[in-house]
Amino acid sequence: MFTQVANPIKEAILPASSSRLIELRGVTKAYEVASGQFLALKGIDMQVDAGEFVAVVGKSGSGKSTLINVITGIDDASSGEVLVASTVVSKLDQEQLSIWRGKSVGVVFQFFQLLPTLTVAENVILPMDFCNTYPVRERRERAISLLEKVGIAEQADKLPAHLSGGQQQRAAIARALANDPPILVADEPTGNLDTQTSEDVMRLFSKLVEEGKTVVMVTHERDFSRYFTRTIMLADGQVVS
Amino acid sequence: MIGPRWKKLLRDLQAAQGRMLMMVLAIAVGVFSVGTILSAYTILTREISNNYLGTNPASALLEVEPGVDDALLAEAGGRSGIEAVEASSTVVARVEVSPNQWMPLLLFVIKDFDTMHINKFNPESGEWPPAEGHILIEREALSLTNTEVGNAINVETPNGSKQEVVISGLVHDPGLAPAWQEQTVYGYITPATLAMLDGSSDLHILKVIVEDQSSVQAIEAPVSELAAWLKSQGYAVHEVRIPPPQKHPHQTQMVAILTMMLIFSLMALVLSAILTATMIGGLLAQQVRQIGVMKAVGARSRQIAGIYLALVALIGSAAVVLGLPPSLAAGRGLAGLVAQLLNFTLYSTDIPGWVYLVQFLAGVLVPFLIALGPIFKTTRVTVREAINDFGTSKETFGSRRLDSWLGKIQGLDSTLMLALRNTFRRRGRLLLTLSLLSVAGGIFLAALNVKTAWEQNLADAAADRRYDLEIRLNSPAPKEKVLSAIGDVPGIQQVEAWNYEPAAKYRPDGLDIVRTYPDGGHGSFTLRSLPPETEMVRLTILEGRWLQSGDTDGVVLNHMARALFPNVKVGDQIQLMLDGKEVDLQVVGIARELVTPATAYVLPEKFAEVTGTIEQVNGIRIVMNKHDAVTRSNVAGEVERALEANGMNVKVSILETMLDAAVSGHVYILIVMLIVMSVLIAIVGALGLVSSMGTSVIERTREFGIMRSIGARSNTVLWNVISEGIFIGLMSWVIAVAMSLPLSLSIGRLIGNLAFRFPLPLILSPSAVVIWLAIIVIGSIAASAYPARNASRLTIRETLVYV
Repeated sequence: MFTQVANPIKEAILPASSSRLIELRGVTKAYEVASGQFLALKGIDMQVDAGEFVAVVGKSGSGKSTLINVITGIDDASSGEVLVASTVVSKLDQEQLSIWRGKSVGVVFQFFQLLPTLTVAENVILPMDFCNTYPVRERRERAISLLEKVGIAEQADKLPAHLSGGQQQRAAIARALANDPPILVADEPTGNLDTQTSEDVMRLFSKLVEEGKTVVMVTHERDFSRYFTRTIMLADGQVVS
Repeated sequence: MIGPRWKKLLRDLQAAQGRMLMMVLAIAVGVFSVGTILSAYTILTREISNNYLGTNPASALLEVEPGVDDALLAEAGGRSGIEAVEASSTVVARVEVSPNQWMPLLLFVIKDFDTMHINKFNPESGEWPPAEGHILIEREALSLTNTEVGNAINVETPNGSKQEVVISGLVHDPGLAPAWQEQTVYGYITPATLAMLDGSSDLHILKVIVEDQSSVQAIEAPVSELAAWLKSQGYAVHEVRIPPPQKHPHQTQMVAILTMMLIFSLMALVLSAILTATMIGGLLAQQVRQIGVMKAVGARSRQIAGIYLALVALIGSAAVVLGLPPSLAAGRGLAGLVAQLLNFTLYSTDIPGWVYLVQFLAGVLVPFLIALGPIFKTTRVTVREAINDFGTSKETFGSRRLDSWLGKIQGLDSTLMLALRNTFRRRGRLLLTLSLLSVAGGIFLAALNVKTAWEQNLADAAADRRYDLEIRLNSPAPKEKVLSAIGDVPGIQQVEAWNYEPAAKYRPDGLDIVRTYPDGGHGSFTLRSLPPETEMVRLTILEGRWLQSGDTDGVVLNHMARALFPNVKVGDQIQLMLDGKEVDLQVVGIARELVTPATAYVLPEKFAEVTGTIEQVNGIRIVMNKHDAVTRSNVAGEVERALEANGMNVKVSILETMLDAAVSGHVYILIVMLIVMSVLIAIVGALGLVSSMGTSVIERTREFGIMRSIGARSNTVLWNVISEGIFIGLMSWVIAVAMSLPLSLSIGRLIGNLAFRFPLPLILSPSAVVIWLAIIVIGSIAASAYPARNASRLTIRETLVYV
């Protein structure tokens, strides 16, 4: 008779009942600061369905980054429940979160955060290496195809320092797609780019949504509203519209 | 194809070549020092044992009267528990090493050079066996005679006769302490030559090998039975020498020194491992955002930890490759040097396989284990913490009492003030840097403190001896006659009678069993008489008091003698054996007497009573008007001539100069090795200083950008960083001085007890303190200035995007 070993990630996975990919129920996030407790999120309820391109907007300090950090498991909620890709994120510890995030959520940062000593292709292969998702001999091929998809295949063997900001952000998006996650989460991905490059990056995200990805993006840019299927506005840690 | 994480590892190695090289060098120095000492240790302990055991050392030597003949040998050899016996003789004579200058000559009389099988020695060159009238000299003793093989030397035997014998060859006797260390010439002659020199060819020493040599106790049993049987056969058994079994006279001393060196070299290794951990910690701090990114794209903590642990393992392996081969060569070189000093031959310089393994493990495993902590700590950081690390401090300045106090300091130059406050802002980094530098300084200072304490011990021992010359006579002579004989010798300030008689701890069977080697010096125990008011020694009293008039049965034991009576206290009665007679004494005091064999001091009356030599002397000590070497030597020559002119034969004449040379000979190697060790530790420490300061500056590159963006000039940044480096260096110096004290005390206790049977004093070496201060200040300036200068040359934009 075999002993069944509990798998916390499996336990945290809920049966897929609908096309809903992200659901936050009564999520709060409190930080301890010198003057006491600061509530960055105050009882957030929100849902994102598969295929949506959602913008999270709001003033500085409104809780936008905290919200997407809670969604990606980079930050944990003080209370409430966070369900992402059928997984109760708050039930996972740091190690389980890393594995889950690597496979389920692609994260894109404002400052690209490519590892400076790895080439662009190697940066893209890195998540596959850590999560052991594709056979080793297929990884480079996949990386090149992702770089083609984002339009910088010819830069594959260059170091990030030799790329422009726009190219670095495209490389970062390719890296986020490495393990074919259903969700991409981006924190002001155009915040460090010029207008034209920002447009290019937004078109790329839009294309990915068309191909079936779900994107949640924090942004300050009002001009990009045409790309989004929905906009969530935050103010003082609460959803106002 | 290797995975990107391993490519990252290799490129990180390439990108931080300088730091990596320093880590490799530091560990290589540690591996080198451990390897050198361990290699030398294994070679020396094996070879000293092989050399000594190769002589087939006697388990015991019995002094028998009348002499040992073939019939006695045959009977003694057949007794139970006795494996082999041989007859020989040892004569304490003197050799004239320059006109009227005499040196002790220990003559070993060998019945048959070709068939001898106990306490053997090997022909080195020249004649074998020596003809009548010829002498073979121990190879290391030849230089003491100031002559060459083939020349004649003037030998004076105990009966006072002086005759020339020709040095016809050299031998190597690994069973003896080196001649230059003992300031004694060893000679080997046949009974016929002895008859020529001394008038008698009788052999009085019965050398014995017992079947069970596992311990002194195991040897004592059959030897006591043999002695009792000899007595029953009408022989007188004067003294039974049972040296520590299977152990060269200087083996304990050598092992003590090597053990201490091993402790220091292990400390150097641990220090280099801490340095590695510090530098890896610095690298991790610098790469914390990269760690966050890797975690954000799916890396687990243990995968990231694996990258950095592999890095440490690679660095360790490189260090082993760099440090191991020269350490083997240096170990062999050191072993050769020690072997030469201790006069034994290295038949093999093979180093056992486990030494290689230990070095490999020491170089790879020790840094690996020490780096585990910082690596796991940093790789467990959450993605949010890592991504939010901006290279400026996370720790808030102002939240502690010390910060408030620093905040109130006024009147300093603003750059200095900023540097002072900055020093305490990054507490984690400060703690790591301080630990590394303090440990390095602590060990460096401890090495030199121990060296100073060792030298101080010897200086104390020399200061305790407040006389210039000691003369021992072959037989007691009337006190008045001795004093009158030397009364007219110019240059003498004071003379005192210091009689001596070999003693032993009392045994119910009446045997004089001593723990002495064949040279009669190492491990000896002597009863001495001295005037209670003497100023010629000033020993430190450990318990009780010094002898006073009226202490009829009183005895003061030096600390070496006390070791023979482990539980004895002041007021206790002890029993000694003196030439077969029991002597009861009451302990009135215990004194520290360094580099002197076990001695019990009694008043002249008691000595006369127990030896039956009333108003007679067999030893005198002399204080001269001048204490330089030439005066001492000249006066000694005059005194000897005066005594001999009056029919008194000098057994041995010990000049304080000679004693100094003998003592220095014993410890010279230790001092050299301690200096070498402290230099190695200073190298690791300096590397640590450069790397930790450099790392600290690199970590703060972004902060410099911020400073410059608000108007600070490059020079201001530079001066700020250098000042901070100096503050940290000075703090570590203070801690190092404090840390060195308990460290020096512990090592001094261990080594002192092994070498002197007395702990070394705790001394803080002022020169070491100043040297380390100079290293720290200069090192701090150099180590901070270079990376700070590089950082100050970056544009503000470059510093602000620094990852």
